[in-house]
Order: sequence, then C-alpha cells, then structure tokens
Amino acid sequence: MLEAKNITKSYSGHLIINGVDVQLEPGQISVMIGPSGSGKTTLLKLLAMLETPDTGTISIDGTQYSFPSPPNQNPVKPWPKVTVVFQQLFLWPHLTILQNMTLPLTAGRREASKEKLESLIELFDMSQFIYRYPNESSLGQRQRAALVRALLLEPEYLLLDEITSSLDVEQVAIILTHLKDLAAQGIGILTITHLLHFAHQAADRVIFMDHGEIIEQGGKEVLDAPKQERVQRFFSVIEAAS
Amino acid sequence: MSVLDILVKYQSAFADGLATTFHLSLIVWAAGLLLGTVLGTFGARWKTAVGIPSRLLSFSLSGVPILVFLFWLHYPLQAMLGVVIDPFVTAAVTLSVINIFAVADVIRAVLADFPAQYIVAAQVCGMTHAQIVRHIQLPIVARQTVPVLLMIQVNMLQATLFASLISVNEIFRVAQQINSQIYKPVEIYTALGVLFLCICLPMNGLALWLKSRYTRDFSER
Repeated sequence: MLEAKNITKSYSGHLIINGVDVQLEPGQISVMIGPSGSGKTTLLKLLAMLETPDTGTISIDGTQYSFPSPPNQNPVKPWPKVTVVFQQLFLWPHLTILQNMTLPLTAGRREASKEKLESLIELFDMSQFIYRYPNESSLGQRQRAALVRALLLEPEYLLLDEITSSLDVEQVAIILTHLKDLAAQGIGILTITHLLHFAHQAADRVIFMDHGEIIEQGGKEVLDAPKQERVQRFFSVIEAAS
Repeated sequence: MSVLDILVKYQSAFADGLATTFHLSLIVWAAGLLLGTVLGTFGARWKTAVGIPSRLLSFSLSGVPILVFLFWLHYPLQAMLGVVIDPFVTAAVTLSVINIFAVADVIRAVLADFPAQYIVAAQVCGMTHAQIVRHIQLPIVARQTVPVLLMIQVNMLQATLFASLISVNEIFRVAQQINSQIYKPVEIYTALGVLFLCICLPMNGLALWLKSRYTRDFSER
C-alpha cells in the first residue's frame, strides 16, 4: 500500500497542501478530482516523492519516509516502482516515440519485453507514429507514448496527471479498459481527471481536493451523492457545463 | 608571377607558416573546448561562485578588441612583470583565454536553460544520474552546442592571424615576409585567402550541416 499521512507542503510561505491523508491500495483505481489550483498535481508529485513534503510520512509497501527527513539522510527514491505520467508528458525531444518508450529499460541494460511492447503498440494503435519524433506527433499520440513508457516499467503504483485530456472518446475507452486490467494485476493507480464519466467508470475510490485539502473521499458514492456542499457545487457546475 | 607560382615557389615557407598556425590553433581549440566546457559546466552548477564571476569576466573581455588584449599581454604586462615570454606562448594564452570564455558562455547558457522536466521524466522512469547525463542531457546539449562551438573555433582560427603582429611566424606573417621580398600583394594575399577558404569553408559547412541535421525544431505542436 502507498499511504501518506498528514502531508503538508508550502511554497514561499503559501500553504499548498494542508495535512492530507491518502491511501492507494494495490489493485485499486483512485480518481482525484478538484478545481484547478486545488493542489492535485502537487499532491501527486509529493506522493511520487518528486517534491519533498514539509511534514508527514509516506509509506510504500512498508518502506517509511518521514518528513522533514533526518539530517544527512538521502532516502532512496521509489522510482520506477512508483512512476508518474505527467499532463505535460515530458517526452525527450531528441528521441523517436519508440526510443522514448524503451530508453528507460535499454539505458539500464534491460530488454523491453518485445511481446509486451508490441501488444501495447497495437493496443494503443501506435504503429503509424512510433518512428516519429515527439514534435511530429499529436498531443494524443504523445499521451499514449508517455503512458506506454510508464507501463513498460511495470510499476506497482502508477500516478497519472490528466492523461486523457487530449484523447478522443475511443482512446479514453481503451485507456480505461487498460487501467482496469492493470488494477486487476494488482497495480495501484491514482489518476487526476476532469472527466466525470471517466471517473465514474474507472474509480474504485474518489478523492475530492480543494484549497490543498481533501474535502471528501470514499467510494463511487462521492460522485453519485457527495455529502459536502463544496463537492456538490463543483459537480453541478461541471454537469451544467457539459 | 601567378598565385599558383607563388604558392609553389614559397611552398616551404607557406608550409612552415601553416604549421605554426595549426599548432597555435590546436592549442587554442583544445584549451578552449576543454577548459571552456569545464568552466561553463561549473558556471551552470555553481551560479554564484563560478557562473557570475565568469560571466563578468567574459562580458569585460568581450569589450576589449582581441588585438588590444594581445598587445597588452605582450608588451605592458611583460614590462610590468619584468619578464620576456615567447610571443607564441603569449598568443596561445591570449587566444585560449578568449576561446575558453566564449565556449564557457555557450555551455553555461545551454545548461542553465536545460528543461528540468526532461530530467524529472527520466528520474521517475528509474534512470540513474549517469544514465540521465549520458542519454538525455549530453545528446540534447551536444545538438545545441556543437554547431555554435564549431563556428567559434573557425573564428579562433582566423583570430590566430593577429599573432603575426607580435612576431609569431604564422601564415599571415610568412605572407607579409614574402610580400616584402617580391611585392606581389594581390597574388600573395589572394593565395592566403584561398588557403583560408580551403580550411574554413569545410569547417563552416560542417557546422551548418550539423546545425541543420541535429538542431531541428524541438517545439511541440
């Protein structure tokens, strides 16, 4: 289990994450929802330990990280056991899509499983563009490449930051099916999304954030019948807009 | 006497001058590329301790013409210190210093502007620092810097001509000496121009080719 307790984070005196407790269970898909600027991406970076929390603890399958860290202690980061696919994707521009997907494995002298690579390329309909460079590919193509790059690493916890934002309905459906397959294999997934129908179909657990705090979390009932007035208001605005 | 006749008749003198020019250039290129890369890397890594002083020195140097800098190191400085240094050494040091700061400026700027997100993406994929440097940072930095550095080295090769003014027997001084004997300035300096074209054009061409081949537009649609 990936468990974070009492996580806080400030930037320049501004409290961005305020005493958050969150758990990611292996085999579960947790969906994080909330308005822009609510701290979702920051929390995701903290859980991945890309950013260091000011206070709190993060426990990953029994390995505990306490913050602030004791002096002179430089904890081993949990990558790629915990890995992230960012909204901005961050594909390396000098490499083709195929090289982007396989470099993390080949750089460590590990062979990318040919069968797995080919099946993911086929699953996400990527064969037409794997030899292109990122800037020659569409955003949707780059999103798929970034996801496949993470999947090839066989992470135990996969953190996704709005990776469906530029995909068409068919691609979203493919990703949804694949995320469920991954969860069935025991991978813990946390995904940030603004798509309520995606959240509804994917979520085992729903986390609603606002102003750096978790306002409400629970099962799908958070989507269907939220208890908190702020969450109700947010969903009603989204539904009215769509 | 034609250009070709002059080149043939004085081939030995031209060869000696060219050898001195290349010797000087090799020292300047090696010192500039090695020490400039180190200085630029350190400047990007330690901005306050190394980067800012290095930029200040580079900025000051850029305001002084190469010729003035060379003369100042050759005459006033040596007179003040009471030493006499071989003009070749003075020229090598002067041009090396200029090259070191020029290279360092390029390296530091590219490293300082290197997009951190590429490193973050590699980190979360479990890549080690050494793997990130080798597979991500070096290739991207090299693509951005190599063509510019090649252009700078061509400029430094041309700047070695200034060494003739402090009596270094490089190719330009040899040309002057031959001209003083036979007074054929058009032919001699045309021959010199042809020689430099033969050396510099391929280097410039290589730089342009590398630029067009590797520094393509990375921006995403």
